[in-house]
Amino acid sequence: MQFTNSSPKTVDLLELEHLYRSFRGIPAIEDVSFKMAPGEIVGFLGPNGAGKSTTVKIITGMLRPNDGRVLFEGQDIAKDMVAFRAAFGYVPEEAHLYSYLSGLEYLQLVGRLRGLEEELLETKATRLLKLLNLESWQYSPISSYSKGMRQRVLIAAALLHDPKLLIFDEPLSGLDVVTMRLFRDLLELLAAQGKAVLYISHVLEVVEQVCNRVIVIAKGRVLADARPADLAKLMSLPNLESVFAQLVQQQDTRTVAQEMVEVMQIGHR
Amino acid sequence: MHKLINKLAARLPLDFRILYHQFLLRVVDLESLSIQADIVGYLGQFSGVLIMLSLLHAMVTYIGYLTFSAPADRLAFCWHMEHYLISTTMLVVGLITVISWDAAFPDRRDVMVLSPLPIAPRTILFAKITAAAAVLGLAIVTLNAASGIVLPLLLGTQPGPALDFIQSFAAYWFTILAASAFLYGSILTIQGFTALVLPRRIFLRLSAILQLAAFGLFLGVYFAQPLLTDPVSLADPRNRWILASSPSYWFFALFNQLNGSWPAQFSWLASRAWIALGLTVTGAASSLLLCYIHTMKKTVEEPDLVPGAGGLHCMPPFGNSLQTAVALFSIRSLTRSRQHRVAFAFYLAFVFALALSLLRGELATPAPAPVSMDLLISAFLMMFFAVAGLRNVFALPISLTANWVLRTTQLRPSEDYIAATRRTLLLLAVAPIWLLSFALSFRFKPIPQVAIHLAVLALLGGILAELCLIGFYKVPFTCSYLPGKANIQLVFWGFVIVMIAFVVPAAQFELTALAVPLKAAFMLSALGALFWALWIFNRHRAKSAVLYFEEIPDPLITTLGLSV
Repeated sequence: MQFTNSSPKTVDLLELEHLYRSFRGIPAIEDVSFKMAPGEIVGFLGPNGAGKSTTVKIITGMLRPNDGRVLFEGQDIAKDMVAFRAAFGYVPEEAHLYSYLSGLEYLQLVGRLRGLEEELLETKATRLLKLLNLESWQYSPISSYSKGMRQRVLIAAALLHDPKLLIFDEPLSGLDVVTMRLFRDLLELLAAQGKAVLYISHVLEVVEQVCNRVIVIAKGRVLADARPADLAKLMSLPNLESVFAQLVQQQDTRTVAQEMVEVMQIGHR
Repeated sequence: MHKLINKLAARLPLDFRILYHQFLLRVVDLESLSIQADIVGYLGQFSGVLIMLSLLHAMVTYIGYLTFSAPADRLAFCWHMEHYLISTTMLVVGLITVISWDAAFPDRRDVMVLSPLPIAPRTILFAKITAAAAVLGLAIVTLNAASGIVLPLLLGTQPGPALDFIQSFAAYWFTILAASAFLYGSILTIQGFTALVLPRRIFLRLSAILQLAAFGLFLGVYFAQPLLTDPVSLADPRNRWILASSPSYWFFALFNQLNGSWPAQFSWLASRAWIALGLTVTGAASSLLLCYIHTMKKTVEEPDLVPGAGGLHCMPPFGNSLQTAVALFSIRSLTRSRQHRVAFAFYLAFVFALALSLLRGELATPAPAPVSMDLLISAFLMMFFAVAGLRNVFALPISLTANWVLRTTQLRPSEDYIAATRRTLLLLAVAPIWLLSFALSFRFKPIPQVAIHLAVLALLGGILAELCLIGFYKVPFTCSYLPGKANIQLVFWGFVIVMIAFVVPAAQFELTALAVPLKAAFMLSALGALFWALWIFNRHRAKSAVLYFEEIPDPLITTLGLSV
């Protein structure tokens, strides 16, 4: 079963063609293909182990596919990885940072690695930290930051070099309500600026609100690629959460929860 | 025996055993190791080096003993070896204590992870102390395994009613354990009371400084303290303050007192050992107990986030943006990571102590001294240890999970990263040692010879840096590390042989070349050519290099590659 509808007729910024990747013979993704145009916010959904992380690692160049290719502006990224790396910003799922650096030092490191001019880097880093309410903590080591603060540092680092493509993997994790709203507004503005955003999340409510399109992946294959509203309409379901549950055939959560309680109580009754 | 130990261990509470195992492995920081790391094998290799040292000590003791025939000479030699073995054991215990700094005290991670669990603080305390004692015990026993039998045996053959093997053996091992307990207890006492008195944040900062100070102190004392083991030196009133302030002499006296061979007029030295032992054991026990009562609470109450102070945040550029990024990243990693700081301090402290002991005579004279073998050897050793030490520390990772940022921002070819690493190595190892040598050179003459020596040293630094970069296609501190991959014993003994075989003849050659301008010019040209050739070689190889972030273990099956 696959649900697709045609995306707007624009020049594709990113295109994934039949990606296949296995680990020790076990396929993680089998046939992942989709396109992204400038100005699109694409939600990338799937249950745990569906192949989202593998796909993102391939897009970011950290992993090579066994088969298939990734095209950026029509060029295979494997042929010029350096040019591709310069064009995307990435916020990973886990906020792994060099925790002994301060927020400012981390942004300086990333900016210098990306070859930004010192003066420009200083201006951008300090302003982004201020806008993300990290100004008071910019000289404190990241090890002392909360999860939300680390996430904000990552978001700032991904925006430093004005990338064309942004990949956000669970970007709202740990953020407070105000920053979450700020982030949603930011996404809309980025899209309006012509940036393509790949948005990976388990929070379907947010995906439904901010994404133009959603791609649902399960067991390493793309099951659906359509606008959230179209998808719900097509499947005659009230919202994206119901669509998602139907598509990936998730387990009966109520029954599993009941079994968990029973296991917990073994030997304690 | 193994079954008996297992049977006894099984009687201990389960939570204690689990914690003990965890704390024992924390001697090596697990977070910086590759998942394939063989920690047990790594510790086994260290033990192997210590056993080899013990065998060497035993051999030197035995051969040295046989070279003397008069009983008085033999006894004097034994006294010299006694002091040497006691002070070496104290040095090793001191170094292990510095490396596992704070390990006996509960840190924030322990408090946050273990506090919610039904585990009593005393279980954590005992598990930590037992783990530390196990590591120290292993080091003490392996370091004295052979010498701890040979020396008591030789002392047992000495004439006199009280000098038999059993007594000497018991005295030796009691003294070694007491000296180790004193040193370890002293550090625990200082740390414990500092932690109790100071606010935690200030304590953590001071602790890092204390750690480096202790490192320098242990090595400095070991190399710089004079040898005063003969009765004449011991009786000399000018040496009284050295003896009174040197713990290794207190325990030397204690050993001989227990052995029954110590002159009564020096018994005050042995008394100092008893008093010091009593004070430190009491101090360590009380400070540890108080810390476990107060510090755990203090750690939880500590605010999670405090705004960072202004301070020095501007750093000079170190070349282009990539070179600046790599250099600053390396400096910050080195200065802010305890493990890396200590590892590099180990090399530096060792080399400075060695240089200090070699140049003590020259530096003490008011007038400039002529360029000597001691100056050349110390300069070579300083440069070698600093460059090789930093290269080794570069290979220790700091936060592997954060490396994704380096992978996703690699916008330049690998050779640029390798060039940035080279610059960092020159900046942090070669330049400081050269500047130190430059400062020292004002104490030597004639000036032309000193200038040529400094040029030789600069070239040597460059050559060593290039040698260290062969195959090193990594950003410092970012590649996983496989302890046990390198054969420590092989490296250690290989180093000793190379040092003896290379440094002394090289210094001799340089000394003669400095006096003959033509020879000096040839020496400089040869070194310059070697440096240039290595630089070209590394640059050429770097063009096709690929940066790597994960050390790959050797395959379990090695193919012969015979098939087409």
